[in-house]
Amino acid sequence: MFEELKKTLSKISADYADIRYERMSENYIAYSGRELVTLSSNDTDGFVIRVLKGGGLASVAFTKPEEAEAAIRIALENAVLFAQKSRKPVRFAEVRPARDEFRPQLSEDPEKVSLEEKMALLKNYNDIPLSAPQVVNTNIGYAEVKRSKYFVSNEGSEIREDLITVSIRGQITAREGNLIQNIRVAIGGSDGFGSLRRQEDHFEKQTKLVCDLLKAKPVKSGVYRCIVNPDLAGVFAHEAFGHFSEADIVETLPAMREKMKLGAKLGSDILNIIDDATIPNQLGFYRYDDEGVAVRPTPLIKNGVLVGRLHSRRTAAEFGEPLSGHCVAEDYRYAPIVRMGTIFIQPGDRDLQTLLGLLGDGLYLLDAKGGQTAGENFTFGANYGYEVKNGRPGEMIRDINITGNLYQTLLDIEAVGDDLELSRAGGCGKGQTNIRSCHGGPHVLINNLVIGGI
Amino acid sequence: MEKLLEMAGRAADQAEVYYRDSVSDSAVFQDAKLHDIETNLLSGVSLRIIKDGKLGFAYSRNLKDRQGLIDNALNSLKGGVEANYDFPKAAQLPELATYEPSVKELSGEELVRQAEKVCQEIAKNTRAEIMAVSFTERQRTGIMNTRGLRVEFQSSVAGVYGSAIYPGSGSGISRMEQGKAMRDMSDELLKELVDLYNAGEKAVDIKGGRMKVLFMPNSMIALLWRLQSGLSGRSLYDKISPVADKLGQRIFHEKLTIVDDPLNDSYPGARACDDEGVPCQRRVFIEKGVLQSFFYDLKYAGKLGAAPTGHGYRSGQWGDDPVTTKPGPALRHGFIQPGNKSFQELVAMMDRGLIIEGALGAHSGNIPNGDYSIGVSPGLYVEDGRIVGRAKNVMVAGNIYETLKNVVDLGNRLYPAFGGFWVPPLLFQDVSVAAR
Repeated sequence: MFEELKKTLSKISADYADIRYERMSENYIAYSGRELVTLSSNDTDGFVIRVLKGGGLASVAFTKPEEAEAAIRIALENAVLFAQKSRKPVRFAEVRPARDEFRPQLSEDPEKVSLEEKMALLKNYNDIPLSAPQVVNTNIGYAEVKRSKYFVSNEGSEIREDLITVSIRGQITAREGNLIQNIRVAIGGSDGFGSLRRQEDHFEKQTKLVCDLLKAKPVKSGVYRCIVNPDLAGVFAHEAFGHFSEADIVETLPAMREKMKLGAKLGSDILNIIDDATIPNQLGFYRYDDEGVAVRPTPLIKNGVLVGRLHSRRTAAEFGEPLSGHCVAEDYRYAPIVRMGTIFIQPGDRDLQTLLGLLGDGLYLLDAKGGQTAGENFTFGANYGYEVKNGRPGEMIRDINITGNLYQTLLDIEAVGDDLELSRAGGCGKGQTNIRSCHGGPHVLINNLVIGGI
Repeated sequence: MEKLLEMAGRAADQAEVYYRDSVSDSAVFQDAKLHDIETNLLSGVSLRIIKDGKLGFAYSRNLKDRQGLIDNALNSLKGGVEANYDFPKAAQLPELATYEPSVKELSGEELVRQAEKVCQEIAKNTRAEIMAVSFTERQRTGIMNTRGLRVEFQSSVAGVYGSAIYPGSGSGISRMEQGKAMRDMSDELLKELVDLYNAGEKAVDIKGGRMKVLFMPNSMIALLWRLQSGLSGRSLYDKISPVADKLGQRIFHEKLTIVDDPLNDSYPGARACDDEGVPCQRRVFIEKGVLQSFFYDLKYAGKLGAAPTGHGYRSGQWGDDPVTTKPGPALRHGFIQPGNKSFQELVAMMDRGLIIEGALGAHSGNIPNGDYSIGVSPGLYVEDGRIVGRAKNVMVAGNIYETLKNVVDLGNRLYPAFGGFWVPPLLFQDVSVAAR
C-alpha cells in the first residue's frame, strides 16, 4: 500500500503534501428490548490528501481510487486560491519524519471472537435490565471499529497504525405511570475484547439506579455547592476546560486567546489537568496522530496555571508552542482537527468522606449524561445524585443539568479527591465524532454550580 | 447497480440497493480570515435484503466486490433481525425541482467571496470576532428494489453562514442563508444578525425565576428533538411516547400548527419519496394544537400495523452517513406555521424575559419525557420590551408538553432549524430560568 500511496504523492508538486489511506472494519450488534435490531459487518475505505503550497492549505477526501487525480487537482487549485486570498500564510511546525509500524497490544483480539459469542455476551448484559419489571425498554449495542491507517508524507513519514475500539453501550428506560427515566450503560476500551468480559456488575448497578430514579425527586433549580464523581469530573475537565486547550478553537478568537495565554491563572491552586493519551490500556490510547506526530503527555494546568495546549502542526507553528500530537480525524472521510486524547483532573489527597465533610450541605452528583461547550459556557447532565446534609448523602435526586463558565468554575474548585477513574466509552462531537475521546478525574468539590432543574 | 440488485435478488427473497454520490465544498473564515478550504467526494452503496422474514444489511464504498457485499448482507441474516414488511413497489412520483446546476459550476473564488462578504458586512457594523462558512453540496441518490422500484434524483444545497462572536466569550449571534443554489445573505438577515449582536454587547447579571422566553430558530433544537421523539412510530413501539394515546386531543396551544411538507421544492432537500422509496406527502401533525398524526418508516409501520408515512430516512440525529445507516423514522421536512408578529413586536410583548439564541445540552436529559434543561449561549435579557444586554450563567428548563401550551405568539418569518425543520421565533410565558 505504501508504494501506491507514495506514487500518488509523487504527482503532487507542493511545499508539503500528505496522504492517508484507511480501511475501516465496523461490526455492530444492537438490541432494542428483547429484539435484535442490528447485526452488520462491513469494510469500507477511503483517502485524504492535504496540500500546503505557497502558504495555502487545502484538503480533499475521496473514496474512489480513480478519483485520486481529480482530488489532487482540486487540492492544488484550492491551495493556490487559499494562498491568494489569505493574508497570513499557513506554516507547519517542524517534525522529524517517522517510519513506524504500530499495532496495539490487545487483551483479546475482537476479530478472533466469533459473532455468536459477541451476540451471546451482548444478550447476557441486555437481559439484566430486562428482568426488572419497571424497565420498559433497552437500547444497547455492541460496536467494534477498526481503523487500519497508512500515512505517508512527502517529508518521508511512513506510518502504519491500527486503532481498535470496542464498546457495549446504550440506555435503559424505566417507567412508572407517566414518569419515564433513563440511564446510560457503557463499557469498553481500546485494548481489546477483554475489556467487555465479566461486566455484569455494571449492568446490575445501572438497572437498580434507573429503578430507584423512578422514586427520586426532581432537583430544584438553583445554585449549589456540589461534589461530582470521577465520571462527571472527567466530563467537567473535557467540557469546562478541555475544548479551550484545543489550540484550533482559541487560535482565531483573539480575546480568548489573550485570556488563555500560557501562564494565565485559570483555576484554584489545587487544580492540575493533563492530557496523556500515552497511558496504556485506556480508551484514548494512540501512538501517532493523523499528521504523523507522536502523541506526548501534555500538562495543561499546573496549580491552577495554564501551562500547555493541544496542537496540530499548524497551530503549534502559529502559537510558537511545542507540538503535542493531537491532530486527529474521525476516519477517512475527514481531514484531521485538534482533539483531546485522554484528559483528566489529576488526583489530590482527600478521600470521599473528607470531601463530604467539607461539603456539609449540598449535592453529590454522579455519572455524566452528555455535555456541550459553546465559548466560555458549558452544560452537562448528571444521571443521578443525592442531597447531602451535614456531610451525609440522603434523598436521591433526578433530572440534573449543570451549567458553568470557563473563567469562573475552575476557580470555584475547592477540593480534589484522591481517586482516579478514566472513561471507558466516548463520543465527542466537534464536527467529527471521536469515539476514543477519553476523560476522567477524582471526586471533586465545586462551589457555585448553576443547576437547571425542570 | 442493476447487476448487484439482480445478484442480490437471486440470493434472497427481496433486495434493495441504495446508492449515493456526493460532492461537498466548504470555505471557512475564522477571525474574518480564510482558514480552511475543504472538498469531500463521498460515494457508497448500501444493500438490504429480506429472506425468510429476516433482514440483511451491508454497505461498501464501491462496487469492486459485489459478491463480497452480498455475502456480508447474507451473513448479517444470521442474527435474525426481523423484517415484517415488503419493500415498496414502484409508484407514480411527482417531479420535483431539487437540483440547481449552478451549484456544480460555482467556482472556488465565488465560494470564498460569499463568506468573505459576510465577514466584511459584520465587521463594518460591529466590534465582533467573526466566523463565516460558505458551502455547497450536490448529490445523486438512487433507490431500487426487486419489486420494480427505480428512483434516482439529484439534489443540491448551498448556503452561507455568519457568526458575530462576543470577544472573550466564544459564543455569538449567527444566521444562515440556505437554498438550492448559492445566493448572497440577504441584507435583512445581516441586519438582524448585527442588530441582535449589538443589543447584547453588554453582559448583564440577571435574577432567575419564571418569565417569558423567546426561542429563536438556533435554539429550537431543544424543543424539536423532543417533539420528534414524541411523534415517532419508534417511540410508540417502545412505549415511551407521552402522547401515544392523545390522537385527536389538544396537546399544545391552539396557535401551533406543525406540518411536514416534503413535496415543497421551494426549499432545499424536497423529496418525492423517502430513503426506502415510500412516496412522500404533505401531512399535518399538529393542527391548532391538536395531535393529528404520528410518523413511520416501513419497519415500525409493519410492527404497529400502521401504513408507512414516507418517513424512513437513513440518518440519525447527528447527520450520519446515509450509506452506512439503516433507515429509521424521522421528520425531515417539518414546518411550524408562522404567526404574524415581527421580531420587534415579539420583544415588545416581553415585560421580563430571555431571548435564547443558542441552546447548550439540548441532546441530553430525559428526551422521551419531553424534559429539557439547557444552558443559554447566548441569551439576551429583555426588560419592559427592550433588550438590555446579554445574560450570563443562565439555564432554562421545562417540559415541551407544558411549554408548548404556553405560547404567547409566533414570529412571521421562517428560518432553517434542526433536522430540516423551518420555524418562526416562538414566544412562551411562564418558563423556569435559573441564574447564578
